[in-house]
Amino acid sequence: MTKDLSTWLDTLLDELQGIEVRRKSSRRIRVDVQPDALPALLELLRGRASYVHLSAISCVDWIEENEFELVYHVWSYEIGSLVSAHTRIARDPGVYISVYDIYTPAAFFERDIHEMFGVFFEGSPDMSKFILTEWDGPPPMRKDFDSEAWVNAHFDFQDYQPDWLKEIEAKGGGVAVRPDEQRFSRRDVDAS
Amino acid sequence: MRPENYEAQRQPPSHEYELNIGPNHPGIEGNYAFKLRLHGDRVLEGKADAGYLHRGFEKLMEGRLWIQNLAITPRICVPDPVPMEVSYCLAVEELCGLEIPERAQWLRVLQLELSRIAAHLFTFGGHAATTGMYSPMFWGIADRDLVLDLFEELTGGRVYHIYNIPGGVRRDAPDGFLDRVRSTLDYLDSRLPDYDNLLFTNQVFVHRAKGVGTMSREQALEWGVTGPNLRATGLEFDVRRDDPYLVYDDLDFDIPTEEAGDAWARTLVRRKELVQSIRIARQVIAALPSIAGPIRCPIPNPLAWNVPAGSVYTRVESSKGELAWYVVSNGGERPYRTHVRGPSQMHAVQVLEKLSVGCRLEDVAQTMFSLDACPPEVDR
Repeated sequence: MTKDLSTWLDTLLDELQGIEVRRKSSRRIRVDVQPDALPALLELLRGRASYVHLSAISCVDWIEENEFELVYHVWSYEIGSLVSAHTRIARDPGVYISVYDIYTPAAFFERDIHEMFGVFFEGSPDMSKFILTEWDGPPPMRKDFDSEAWVNAHFDFQDYQPDWLKEIEAKGGGVAVRPDEQRFSRRDVDAS
Repeated sequence: MRPENYEAQRQPPSHEYELNIGPNHPGIEGNYAFKLRLHGDRVLEGKADAGYLHRGFEKLMEGRLWIQNLAITPRICVPDPVPMEVSYCLAVEELCGLEIPERAQWLRVLQLELSRIAAHLFTFGGHAATTGMYSPMFWGIADRDLVLDLFEELTGGRVYHIYNIPGGVRRDAPDGFLDRVRSTLDYLDSRLPDYDNLLFTNQVFVHRAKGVGTMSREQALEWGVTGPNLRATGLEFDVRRDDPYLVYDDLDFDIPTEEAGDAWARTLVRRKELVQSIRIARQVIAALPSIAGPIRCPIPNPLAWNVPAGSVYTRVESSKGELAWYVVSNGGERPYRTHVRGPSQMHAVQVLEKLSVGCRLEDVAQTMFSLDACPPEVDR
C-alpha cells in the first residue's frame, strides 16, 4: 500500500506543469509552485496521494522582493513524508485564496497570518481579530513594522532618577517599615 | 480587556444566555477565555478567545542572535518546555549542517522523556480537578516536583532549562545523577497503582469522563488533531517512531492507543504513555554510561554566528502532540523568520469549539483539560 501511494506521488508531481520539486531528504520534499496552481496541487496531494494532515501554514515577509512567501506543510500518514509547498504572492495588495475547503485546520493559520501580516484570504471562514483583539496598528509581523519605534511613538517613558533613591533613604529606607509604624509589631506583643 | 468586548448585548427574549468562561478558570493551563452560548446547561456554541498571553515571541526572535533566542523558546509552552528547545536547536543544526555527538542526543532524549512525564502528571491532576477531585492534583504536582528536582540538578533550572544549545547540550550529567533518575523513576513506577486506585479506576471519574468530548478518527484527522488526542481515536501514529529524530530509532517503546476518542480514552492514553516514557528513560540510563565522547560539537563564536541561508521545518512529538518550527535564515546573525506550530493551536481553538457543542456546562472545563491544550502555544 505504501509503495503504491509513493508512486502515485511521483506520477502526480511529474504530471503537473510549472512546479519545481526538490527532495531534501527521504521524508522532506520541497515544492515551489505558482500561486494560481497551489490550491490544485494541495487538492491533488490530499485526494490522490493521502496528504491529509495540514501541519502548518507559514508566512515569510520578503520585503526587498516586495513579496510574501506562503509555505504549506502537509504530511501523509501513509507515505510518511512531509511536502512543503512554497508560493509567493505580491505584497500589495496581499490577497490570496483560502484552502479551507481542502484543509479545515487552514482556518486558524489563515486567521493568524491575516492578523500578523495583513494577508487577506478570500473564502476563509473567519478573518476577525483573534490574538490581537485590541490592536489597531499595522500588522506587527511585517518587516517594516519597528516595535521599538512604535513604543517610542505611543508610550511615555519615565527616566530613572537616582534622586528617588536618596529621597527614599532620607525617609528611612525602602520598603521596610519602622518598628513604631508597624501595626502588629513585636513591641506590642512584648508590652502586653 | 476593553469593556465593550465584555458588555452584555441586549438580546430578544429567549431561553438562551451567554456565559464567559475565563480568562482565569480551571479548564486550562493558562489564561484563555471561552465564550459560551447556552440553553439551560446545554452548550449551543463555543467561541475561543486567545490573546491574554501574547508576548510576540516570533517578532522578538527576529531581533535577537540565534543563541539569544534559546532563552525565549522554552517560555512558549510552560508545562512542557523541553521539546520547544530541542526542536529549535534541531532546526538551527540542520541549517548549519552540524552533526550532534551521540552522547548529547541521548541526554536530549532523557530530558524529553522526563519533561513528558512531568507534563502528563500535571495534566492528570488538572483533569481530575475539573471533575471536583482535588487529591490527584496535589499528588500529581508533588510527584512532578521530583522530576523538576532532577532538572534542577542537570540544568540549573526547574522549569526553563535552556540546557540545549545548537550543537549539543550545555553540560554533562553530574556524578550520580543517573542513579537519582533511576530511583525517581522507581518511585514513580510504584506510585502508578496508587494513581489507578485514586483516579483511573475511580468510578466517579470514569462516569464523569466517559462519553465526554467524543470525536471519531475521521473527525480527528479532518480537524488536524495530533498526539495523544489522535491516538485516543485509534490511530497509531507518533512522530518519535514515524518521523524519527535524535536516537528514537534505537529505542524500544510501544505506542498506546484507545478506540473511544472521548475524554476517558485520552486520559488512558496518557496514563499508558507515562509507562512508556519511564521505559524509554530507563533505556537511556542503561545506555548512557557506555557512550563516551563530547557533549557538543564545535560551534562558531555564538555572538558572531552567521547561519547559512535556507529554510527548515523540524517536527518533534511533545506531550501534547506534534510540535514544529519553521525557521528561515537569510545568512545573517539573526533568524529572518521563525514560526512555531504548537499542537494546541488546533486543540484549543477549532477542536474545542467543535467538541463543546452539545456538551453540558459542567463538562466544558473537563473537555478543555482532556485535550491538554496549552494557551501559551496559541498566543506565542
